[in-house]
Amino acid sequence: MKAQYVNPFYQATIDVFKLMLDLDINRCQTDACSKMLGKKEVGVIIDITGDLTGSILYRFPESMILEMVKIMSGMEMAELDGFVTSALGEVSNIISGNAVSKLSSEDYKCDIKPPRIIVDKEKPLTLSDATVLKIPLETAIGELQIQISLKEN
Amino acid sequence: MMWKEKYKIGVEKIDQQHEELFRRVEDFVVSLRKEGEWGDKLPKVKETLEFMKGYVVTHFADEEAYQEEQGYPGLEAHRQVHEDFKNEVGEFAVRFEEQGYAEDLVQQFAGKLLAWLINHVAATDQKIADYVKSKGVSN
Repeated sequence: MKAQYVNPFYQATIDVFKLMLDLDINRCQTDACSKMLGKKEVGVIIDITGDLTGSILYRFPESMILEMVKIMSGMEMAELDGFVTSALGEVSNIISGNAVSKLSSEDYKCDIKPPRIIVDKEKPLTLSDATVLKIPLETAIGELQIQISLKEN
Repeated sequence: MMWKEKYKIGVEKIDQQHEELFRRVEDFVVSLRKEGEWGDKLPKVKETLEFMKGYVVTHFADEEAYQEEQGYPGLEAHRQVHEDFKNEVGEFAVRFEEQGYAEDLVQQFAGKLLAWLINHVAATDQKIADYVKSKGVSN
């Protein structure tokens, strides 16, 4: 996977977390980073069309999602209901939209499809493509993972 | 409290409208998240939605007029973001009517609205402020 495709998603995630949630993001260096994932988690899949096609999967653990929506709303969130997952879907949508804008400055014209939200699968979520690139990230409220599967048309 | 001082862009009228929008969205979210029967919450939900529909149109128009006045180069893109948002709200309104204001659908709308508003004010609108400040420095 070319760095040219990947960096816009990484950078957009950093920007959006900072602006919307006041959170810094760092790359995880060890496997320990994924300890929160694979339990109760939500995945948001956003399909990409245009000069690049494929999908982006954002994986968040439950505790982190509840905290993210608490930061945004100022209210305690007890469970992964429609309000919480929809807010998360929109955050992922905003990240992807920003990434696609960055890609257009690299001369890749792409569009994004509406987010698809997958809650609480028993198996860890993953994109089926063998070439998928996984980026583990950490914040002060938990770890997330971005999976990127894109190919040039 | 959803509103944060850092969201201010330094234009009094726009900042007041943003603060009002945040207050209304917060009221809306509080009213639909509180304990109780959905049927009892619905009048407040509908009232807030009606207000939002009118207020958002006024606010967007004022914000666009300000950008025009300042010669903001991102005006057309910003206008498109406003149009897309109004269309999305319109689509939700149709689904609300069709589905009799089903609770889950309204909850989903509120979650999306919350994240959209924060991003729009914290990121997209801040670019107007950045432009006006940079213009001030270069003049």
